[in-house]
Amino acid sequence: MVSSFFSDILLHPLGIYVLALGAGFLIPLFDRAHRGSAVLVFFAALAGMVAIAGLNLLAIVNGAPSIDIETAGIAPPFSINLRFGLLEGGFVLAVNTAALLAAWHCLPALRQHASALLLFLIMVMGINGMIMTRDLFNLFIFIEITSIATYALIGMERTGSVLAAGFKYIIATSVATTFFLLGTIFIYYQVGTLNIDDIIVHADLIQGPIGFIATLFVLTSLLIELKPYPANGWGLDVYETAHSGIASLISVGVSAGVFFAIYKVLPLMDSYLTSIAFIGGATFLVSNIIGLKQDNARRLLGYSSIGQMGLLTLALALLLQLEASSQLVLVVGGLFINHMLAKAGLFWLAGIIDRSQLKDWCAIAQRPGLLLLLGIMMAALIGLPPFPGFWAKWQLVMILAEGGQYLWIAVVLIGSLLEAAYLFRWFSHARGTDNNSMGDSSTDEVPPQAVVSLAQQLPVAIATLLLFVIGYVMALAMNIETPGMFLPLLAGFALWLIDGIRGRLKALAMLLVVGAGGYWLTNDLDGINRLFSYLLVGGGLLVSIAVMYRNDDRRGFYPLLAVLLLSLAVLLRAKTSLEFFFGWELMTLSSYLLVTLGRNGVKPALNYLLFSLASAYFILAGFALAYAASGSLLLSDLGNSGDSIGLIFSLLAIGFVIKMGGFGVHIWLPGAYAEADDDFTALLSAVVSKAGIFGLVLIAANLGVQSDIGLDPTYVLGWIGILTATFGALMAVFQEDIKRMVAYSSMGQLGYIVTGIALMSHLGWVSALYMTVNHFLFKGILFLSIAGIVLRTNERMMYKMGGLIKNMPFTFVFTMIAIIAMSGVPPLTGFGGKWMLFNALMDKGWYFIAAFAFFSSAVAFLYMFRLLQTVFLGQRKLEHAQLREAPAILLAPQFIMIAAIMVISAYPRLLLDPLSAAIDPWISNTLVWEGFALQTQYGYWNAPMIMAVVGGVWMVPLIILLLVSLTMKIQKVEQFNIVYAAERPHRPEDTHFAYNFFAHYDRAIGFLVRPRATAFWNAAVEWSHTLASSLRVFYNGNGQTYALFILMYFVAMVLFNGGLGS
Amino acid sequence: MIAEWIGKIGNFTLTLLIVTAYGLFMTAFIERIIAKVQGRIGIPYWQPVINILKNFFKRTAVSHGYMFYLGPVFRIAGGIGTLAFIPVIYGSETFSNFSMAGDLFLVIYFMFFGQLGMALGAGESGHPYSAIGIARGLSQMTAYEVPFALAVISIVIQYDTLSITEIVAAQQGGWENWTVFTNWVATLAAMLAFLGMTGYSPFDIFLAPQEIPIGPPTEFHSAYLSFMSLNRALFGATKLVLFMNLFFGGATGLLELMIKTWLIYMVAIVIGVSFPRFRVDQAIRFFFKIPTLIGIMSIVYAQMMLTS
Amino acid sequence: MSILADLPISLIVLCSGLGLVLIGLWGMLTQRNMIRMIVGFSLTDTGVHMVMVSIGYVTGGTAPIINDAVPMADAVNRVVDPVPSALVLTAIVIGLGVTAVMLSYAVRIYKARKTLMIDECTESKW
Repeated sequence: MVSSFFSDILLHPLGIYVLALGAGFLIPLFDRAHRGSAVLVFFAALAGMVAIAGLNLLAIVNGAPSIDIETAGIAPPFSINLRFGLLEGGFVLAVNTAALLAAWHCLPALRQHASALLLFLIMVMGINGMIMTRDLFNLFIFIEITSIATYALIGMERTGSVLAAGFKYIIATSVATTFFLLGTIFIYYQVGTLNIDDIIVHADLIQGPIGFIATLFVLTSLLIELKPYPANGWGLDVYETAHSGIASLISVGVSAGVFFAIYKVLPLMDSYLTSIAFIGGATFLVSNIIGLKQDNARRLLGYSSIGQMGLLTLALALLLQLEASSQLVLVVGGLFINHMLAKAGLFWLAGIIDRSQLKDWCAIAQRPGLLLLLGIMMAALIGLPPFPGFWAKWQLVMILAEGGQYLWIAVVLIGSLLEAAYLFRWFSHARGTDNNSMGDSSTDEVPPQAVVSLAQQLPVAIATLLLFVIGYVMALAMNIETPGMFLPLLAGFALWLIDGIRGRLKALAMLLVVGAGGYWLTNDLDGINRLFSYLLVGGGLLVSIAVMYRNDDRRGFYPLLAVLLLSLAVLLRAKTSLEFFFGWELMTLSSYLLVTLGRNGVKPALNYLLFSLASAYFILAGFALAYAASGSLLLSDLGNSGDSIGLIFSLLAIGFVIKMGGFGVHIWLPGAYAEADDDFTALLSAVVSKAGIFGLVLIAANLGVQSDIGLDPTYVLGWIGILTATFGALMAVFQEDIKRMVAYSSMGQLGYIVTGIALMSHLGWVSALYMTVNHFLFKGILFLSIAGIVLRTNERMMYKMGGLIKNMPFTFVFTMIAIIAMSGVPPLTGFGGKWMLFNALMDKGWYFIAAFAFFSSAVAFLYMFRLLQTVFLGQRKLEHAQLREAPAILLAPQFIMIAAIMVISAYPRLLLDPLSAAIDPWISNTLVWEGFALQTQYGYWNAPMIMAVVGGVWMVPLIILLLVSLTMKIQKVEQFNIVYAAERPHRPEDTHFAYNFFAHYDRAIGFLVRPRATAFWNAAVEWSHTLASSLRVFYNGNGQTYALFILMYFVAMVLFNGGLGS
Repeated sequence: MIAEWIGKIGNFTLTLLIVTAYGLFMTAFIERIIAKVQGRIGIPYWQPVINILKNFFKRTAVSHGYMFYLGPVFRIAGGIGTLAFIPVIYGSETFSNFSMAGDLFLVIYFMFFGQLGMALGAGESGHPYSAIGIARGLSQMTAYEVPFALAVISIVIQYDTLSITEIVAAQQGGWENWTVFTNWVATLAAMLAFLGMTGYSPFDIFLAPQEIPIGPPTEFHSAYLSFMSLNRALFGATKLVLFMNLFFGGATGLLELMIKTWLIYMVAIVIGVSFPRFRVDQAIRFFFKIPTLIGIMSIVYAQMMLTS
Repeated sequence: MSILADLPISLIVLCSGLGLVLIGLWGMLTQRNMIRMIVGFSLTDTGVHMVMVSIGYVTGGTAPIINDAVPMADAVNRVVDPVPSALVLTAIVIGLGVTAVMLSYAVRIYKARKTLMIDECTESKW
């Protein structure tokens, strides 16, 4: 009896209203006694609202029918009715949960007035009503109830700017609701009912000019409430000035209610779906463009909010138009919940940190917990995995592609990229632009840090947790392989928990976790994926051993590194394009964060992230087209894409080439490589860059070969590759910074690999894979050597070094061998790659590309020599006399890689046979072996014999010289003991020829490498800012202008949809 | 197997001695020609040999470090190795050396071996002139490498092989089959590159005997210097053999070899004594202009040859 | 007399209601003084209410009370639609609430900034 009373009466959805109104009466009463008790009642009511929504939703999910609430015992349409179904339940639960968290967030402000507590409850109840009601006029009532409560809550803070913003808000929304009321009454006039279901049934009665105006009024006024561009200045002002808790509730709660209202009346608006999509899309795009120029954190959130609601509107309209309403829960629901939690979380963070200017957010640079929360919110908001937005956006893009809506895909992706740009610019400010992680020269003062209690962080933390949980649930719904795909995150989380222990212990734990996890993820792979797993996971671990050379705290480094390395394993394991994309984005995010940990890494990291995201969006678009064409998400089905195969290949290839730093889109690369932590740079170059190669091989294999159409894009790709190689080398020649130089070199070397893959021939691919392995080996060695050098000298400018061969003989020898292996000089590994590439190019008839390959490898000698000369040779600086050799733990992985280079140099067949076998499924083997000699159509290559001959001709003079040395007196001389223009030099700075080493080369052809690409991208930024300025002229701050825009919006909607004549 | 190798090594040693002796002789010969042009008598023919022996048996030497010590070793290993991978006389097993180990591509890339090693050795001496000379030399190298690479690609298209032996074989049967007549465009481009490669005027600034006393090898002396001089003679002759093989029909006997290489060398000498020196950036620009254009034409020419 | 008499009273109310709406909007857009803007809003609101009432009116109809005078079967043609009247009541209440909030805002803005001119409250922009 009692239990049935409980479940039937108290837990009925109507209880939400009972609780809100009941508490509304009780709060003033309790307040008389004690403010605290009123607060208790307030929270009890809110919690009850959450519980009722949750329990009822649970019942419906478990199969119970949706609940209809009728009033006065009369059935609709003659009475007002409310409905609590699956969708309603989801929205109500989400809104009430957000409200509960928001209430916690703004409790200090709310508890100053008992009436504020009451208004807050009324506002939440109004939103609930907007979602649940099935009566048009009742909807109006709930909108107004919510609005009045909102007006009052905005006015809670009585500063001039808040009040002004509130007044503008009232004017704007009341104009909109006036039109809503007019529309409602006209609909009633024609249909004779106010029940939405009934109206939909009799939609044919709505006709003529009156019907047209009526539906358009209802629709437009609801759209206005969602703040479409440009009639949204009033909303922005409130987002900027109102209390963060209230602003968050307007952004996620009120908007949710209005959005749901639109969804309810949408069956009447079939013919306006295009307009709605257009409004949503334009708002999404324009808000995000304008956001680029915004410096105020809260107003920025406003732009982001408006943009997100635009995206939701766009998605809703397009999904209905494409008759994919079965995906509504996943796409619109996912986007909504993602926006709700992330945006509300950001508003709350903005509230507790309370810095209005973005640049002041360095106040949390030393607060890793807050940074983490901020980063997660932003990552979720732009749809990075594993958050709900990722899955929803993926599904949205897939559906759009299926429907052939390519333009809309572009809008969604471009808008998302812009949003990422300003959000992560903000994050960069928060991260602090300069954080000497090595502890040197950090004399600059740390700005005063924000003081935030744990209780204040609680709502944000809960929102974060919910984001993860819902993301995981959505992953299950998307049939992602779990838990495998989530292993990187789990590993990262586990390592984060022990992030307090000592540096080397953490590193060891990280290696163990990655080793075990990587093995578990990749041990059942075969073919080319297995090969890459050795390289990415095995190689990643090998290089990662070196991270133990530092024993300092390195907060966040090890967890992120584990995420990165395991996400590479996920990438290899992926069977479907969704899984691949998941791994790809995870890799992007974790590597971005790792780059920010570098000395001056924050700014270059932002570039890196933006280019990476652009790359990811190209890949996403490519996958979407493939899905539309083949109807399958399996990577192995990519080839069944029919006619669009060329376009798909191009999109995917562009994506991967951006990620590899291709010519023209390389500008992120030197900065990111140079400013990342030294040991992490080694990983970036040696290991992470191989992910792009893996992607290229994957699409080349699945798209390029199966379709026997002559793929023109591959020829273009071949040229891109070789131009990347040439310009990478040329730019490396002129660098003074050792890391930048080797970074450009890395770019150039990857260029050859791109060309090799583009050849689409067996020999071309073997050469590409061989060069990939080789690149891993020599770049791993080089960057680890550099890490040692930088560790000892604390210097990155090469002209400030010199003569280090005396102090660091092992580092010198390792570097030299790596450089010979890179240069292509026989007998080491580089030659084989160049030889095969050249043969394959000749075979294909790409003669001019071959000529460029020659030229670029000659140019490469310049920077390679410069590295050895200016760092290790020449005159040593006096202050470097006492430097020690690099730590053994840094040399150990280098030594292993040197050994590998030597073995492969002598017996390349050890490597070539497995490579060839891995390619075999796609292109049959064309390698002809005659003993140890590899034969091609043109030439032959007998590596062991070359090794023997070179060894012989090297040993013989050496022995002779040694014998001669026995007979003569060889005297070791001191520094400066040289024949120098009859004068004995006394300062290394005067004598060490190092700065501007290739000045003459610069005079000859330096004009080729003036930073044109950088200038172009800077100009692009400039253009977008100009565009943003001209797009935001509407927001002049005048409430009357805003009201005028709303009126004009109605007029425009009427005209756009054909005027009254239709 | 072992006997085979011993035989090969023996044969190669013979080739090495002959080519070195010839290279030394030619060094002196050329010096005398230049002297005559300048109105001097010049050195005796055996002067280069005397210089090398004198330096080799010096009683003292200084060392700036282990890389300095190894520099000359790398240098001469580069010279010997390059010769080892080139078949010197067509049809002769004795003079085929180790050309079965790799093709033309190997030779071109192995040429860098000695240069790189010597450069590193010179670098450790700490002498700025060495570094300046190398910086200039390397820059110039990237420039003349372009017409050379284009010419090589052209003849690889023409003969459809990278094997030097086969390239020579294709030119047998009369002077009209030589590359210089069948593909004069590629030969022209390659010969222009050759001017840069030999390092005579107008492309000799990286050695710059006056301003940066003999450039890279500045600090080398005694036995080191003798290795360097020996290599200069050997490597010079080796390059001539390569050019002869690629563009001038190779040689079927030692006499033919000597006449052809001498004539090829004379091209560089005649131009060298007639022109003043380029600044290094001028030299670079020079190679990127006309010679590169000719190189590009040579590829087009070779493709036209194939289709016609 | 002739034209007006032919016009149903509901149409007159409808037209004047719509006219009021326009006048009110004009006021809100052109009057910089907030109090005047609120007056404009009030006019618009009243206009909407008039429109609503006019919608349900049946010329010559009687009160919607079903009794002996108005039999059930005949009701649809003879009585005034009661729903709009009910709606108007609600709408008036809401309009009153909104107007009240607006006025209190105006008061507070005046207290805070000593001005009622809306174009002097533009510090949040762009």
